[in-house]
Amino acid sequence: MNDFSLRKFYGWFTLLGLVVGVLVIVGYYRDENRPWKVYQRKFLQEEIRRAVTPDQRLLAQNTPLQIRQILLPELNRVDRCTTCHLAVEDPSYGNFAQPLAYHPLHDQHPFDKFGCTVCHRGQGRATTVADAHGNVPFWNEPMLPTKYLQASCGQCHEAADNPAAPELARGNQLFETVGCRGCHKLGGVGGNLGPELDRVGARRAPEWLKQHFLSPATVTPGSGMPPQKFAEPDLEAIVLYMLSQTGANLPGFYGSMKVLPSVSEGRRLFQLKGCIGCHTVAGQGGKIGPALDDVGLRRKPEWMMQHFRDPQSVSPGSVMPRFGFTEAEARALTEFLVHLRDQKVSLSIPALMEPTVRGREVFRKYGCAGCHGPEGKGGVPNPNAKTAQQVPALTYVADGYTKPELKKLIVNGQREIVALDPHHPAPPLYMPAWGNTIKDAEIDDLVAYLFTLKPKGEDAGF
Amino acid sequence: MNLPPSDPNGVTRRGFFQLTLGWVAGSFAATATVAAAVRFLVPNVLFEPGQRFKAGKPDDYPDGSITFLEDERVYLVRKGNTFRCLSAVCTHLGCTVNRAGKGYHCPCHGSVFNDEGGVESGPAPRALTWYLVALSKDNRLLVDKGQNVSADKYLVI
Amino acid sequence: MNAPLPKRLWLWLAQTRVGRSVFRVGLPQSNLERSQAMVSSFLLHVQPAKVSRHALRASYTLGLGLISLYLFFILCGTGVLLMFYYVPSTAQAYDVMKDLQFVVSAGLVVRNMHRWAAHLMVLFVMLHMCRVFYTGAYKRPREFNWVIGVGLFLITLGLSFTGYLLPWDQLAFWAITVGTNIAGYAPIVGPKLKYLLLGGNVVGQDALTRFYALHVIVLPAIAGLMISVHLFRVRKDGGLSRPGEADDTSVESIPLAQLPTNKSYGLMELARGTTPQVGKNPDDEVFSWPHLVFRELLLFLLVIAVVLFLAIFWNAPLEEFANPIHPPNPAKAPWYFLGLQELVSYSAFWGGVVVPALLVTMLGVLPYIDRGRAGVGRWFARERTVANTIFTVCLIVAIVLTIIGTMFRGPNWGWVEPWGPPPAITEGH
Repeated sequence: MNDFSLRKFYGWFTLLGLVVGVLVIVGYYRDENRPWKVYQRKFLQEEIRRAVTPDQRLLAQNTPLQIRQILLPELNRVDRCTTCHLAVEDPSYGNFAQPLAYHPLHDQHPFDKFGCTVCHRGQGRATTVADAHGNVPFWNEPMLPTKYLQASCGQCHEAADNPAAPELARGNQLFETVGCRGCHKLGGVGGNLGPELDRVGARRAPEWLKQHFLSPATVTPGSGMPPQKFAEPDLEAIVLYMLSQTGANLPGFYGSMKVLPSVSEGRRLFQLKGCIGCHTVAGQGGKIGPALDDVGLRRKPEWMMQHFRDPQSVSPGSVMPRFGFTEAEARALTEFLVHLRDQKVSLSIPALMEPTVRGREVFRKYGCAGCHGPEGKGGVPNPNAKTAQQVPALTYVADGYTKPELKKLIVNGQREIVALDPHHPAPPLYMPAWGNTIKDAEIDDLVAYLFTLKPKGEDAGF
Repeated sequence: MNLPPSDPNGVTRRGFFQLTLGWVAGSFAATATVAAAVRFLVPNVLFEPGQRFKAGKPDDYPDGSITFLEDERVYLVRKGNTFRCLSAVCTHLGCTVNRAGKGYHCPCHGSVFNDEGGVESGPAPRALTWYLVALSKDNRLLVDKGQNVSADKYLVI
Repeated sequence: MNAPLPKRLWLWLAQTRVGRSVFRVGLPQSNLERSQAMVSSFLLHVQPAKVSRHALRASYTLGLGLISLYLFFILCGTGVLLMFYYVPSTAQAYDVMKDLQFVVSAGLVVRNMHRWAAHLMVLFVMLHMCRVFYTGAYKRPREFNWVIGVGLFLITLGLSFTGYLLPWDQLAFWAITVGTNIAGYAPIVGPKLKYLLLGGNVVGQDALTRFYALHVIVLPAIAGLMISVHLFRVRKDGGLSRPGEADDTSVESIPLAQLPTNKSYGLMELARGTTPQVGKNPDDEVFSWPHLVFRELLLFLLVIAVVLFLAIFWNAPLEEFANPIHPPNPAKAPWYFLGLQELVSYSAFWGGVVVPALLVTMLGVLPYIDRGRAGVGRWFARERTVANTIFTVCLIVAIVLTIIGTMFRGPNWGWVEPWGPPPAITEGH
């Protein structure tokens, strides 16, 4: 019976008790020693050092170590960046090293309204360096490198002509002139040879985009996209513009900031709202309202703003309706009108353009240059196509087609491209059907433009 | 050692030591676990509007205005270049008071407060609370609901 | 008094007026009190006052059932704690996981404990089942307790599976999508079951709400009840199985039909013969207090230590926020279903319908088919070679399929070698 004593287990009991006890202590220690506390202690020491009055010293001494966060319910974000970046609002920390550096230029975007991650990306809820900066597995939104930061402006603001984000504007300019829309849709406008780009900035890293522009087939095997020969600054700008296309649909207040009070935005609105129906510019348009050519000389901007809000309040008896413009829209229109006496601005109103000039805009808008080259001069490779392994130039379309034939070709496209060697893979690029994308009137303008491409003084070669 | 067969706790010096240590460590672990569970339940961050909040730029509030800030349940009062912040929480049972005439009126039990937050009539036991208003380093109005002040304390811009 | 301090404290506490009212028996000093300690305590009375030495041998049971029970306790405790933070909403659930990790004190450890204890419970319930099979412990009179055990095994899988969805990350979303689709292959009831389980055709908010309700209330309540019945029956079926049980004629009860019906009977007369008090050699038994209780305490400490260790040093997985548009390649079910998923990849009908249905049915009717009572109470008894061989083959096939599904399957369910280079990630647009 003696051998059945429990005494042989006592040692096990002691050991297991101690192991559990030690594990609890280790767990507690690891949980309690969070890295952000180190930064907060450093910051509070600095605050105590700087304290001038006893009150300030007391305040710093009594500040508890705690996670700080900015609640952004409308954006569905919680940003805890200020748990470590404690001095972002204090200019006196201007030359401090991170994480205690001051964040300049936040007057227009106060932190309590915007937080941090909506511009910088990263993981707002995280409280360790690696996790918060987002370069960790299973987090798709790492911090944007500072040189691409202007991409974030594009989430809320119009990219074109944005003076506060020159790199973004430049990227946008490139995107619209190089002809990306010939194959890619963005915001519903463009071709369908390549994928839509509406969310590309959220899905792709800068390095990927860069590599993809220079040599598409190395990152996307089988891609038919021709390599783009961008110079380095242009490459950075277009990558930045791509990064700005996150597809984020920002709600409420943030979304309302889209319209910039710029001339180009004003011009877009002027066209969209049909102002030319009642007013004349350069002698063209409706005669119901006054001519607008020199309105910038006659009226002050404040007057125009008030006029947009309530036309009758500044010009009694006016029949102009209240359009209910937002403040930003009214500002954009005002800006446009102020600059209207400038030749370049007035001539850029589409309604006033020659059809061939408008057609050139259409050529640009839908990215025809992406395949047919600038001014339709060709040269974009299309391996194994019978047309010299290139997308054909458009310089001589006037010789080969009548206008209705050319229009039909644009509307219906040409899916089958004759191959040089039928045993090799079919040419990757083909002419998509544009009938559903480009408006009928626009196609007429486009055809008119294409017919002007033939060099002057040359006769039909046939 | 001749111990009764079914008395395993008949203890040697060594066994005594082992048992004591085991029980002490085990009890410690159990207590610490309960404490950790309680600590787990104490929230470290709050998802309600903070005690200290920024109320925008001073110029957002026209002269002579009394603005109700919904999320924070306060009235921001500007007179000339002075700013004050009045709690909109009735001191009776915590309903939100409405601006009415030259004062505030509680819809729940009919307490009436004057312009300075003092009780005019009704069951409210105390005047409405005034909160400290300061200017932040980036020139925003900074309200601290943790600090009550008297009605005659102003922030002067 | 040469007793350790905690014991002296306990003795003092137990003999006070309040202490006696709570504990009834203090720290037992005599055999009578040892019996009473077990019988009069709510927590202990499910166990007998005396227990056979054979049942205490760790090499016989390996403590597998008890380990499963302890894991269930740990899961209940940590689960209740997690419920204080969790929100079953597709918009918020993932954020809660992040907050547990980054903000809540001990939040990550609690979540880790819950996760690892859940995986361990599935594993140990399986091992427990193997132990019962290899020792022939499912035979008369324990047939129905085996059936209850099979039910508990399925409930355990259900608990783990419903919990899998709750973090609402890619892993959760696609494991449940794949898992419920396997269920959808069952004929007639399959699609309806899937529809009912998900509250729709795809995994979405309704699925999350349903899985949450199942995970925190329905399944734990059923599991708790069935565990109680399982333990109760262990006791009523005469304690743990032991060798020579079948030859012990004294444990057979007199059929009720042979008893005169014109008299009333005391409880002891009606109780089954196989209760521990009857027909046992007193020398083979020891008092449960302290021999059983102390061993149980040791095992509990061991389980806690292992779970804590895992939870402190290994984090529970959490992938990206669930994205119904971009499935991971390959999308895998939880590991215990990967054997089935591997089978489904050959034949949806065989893998999704025939094999699981056959397995569950076989397990359920096993004690009524295999009725011989030879070899009970011994591991791998020679008398049971045929049964053991069949079971072992099935087990090995299941293990091999699971290992293949877990480690050897890569993108497009193609063959990869875990020690080889990781498969090239080819992405289209």
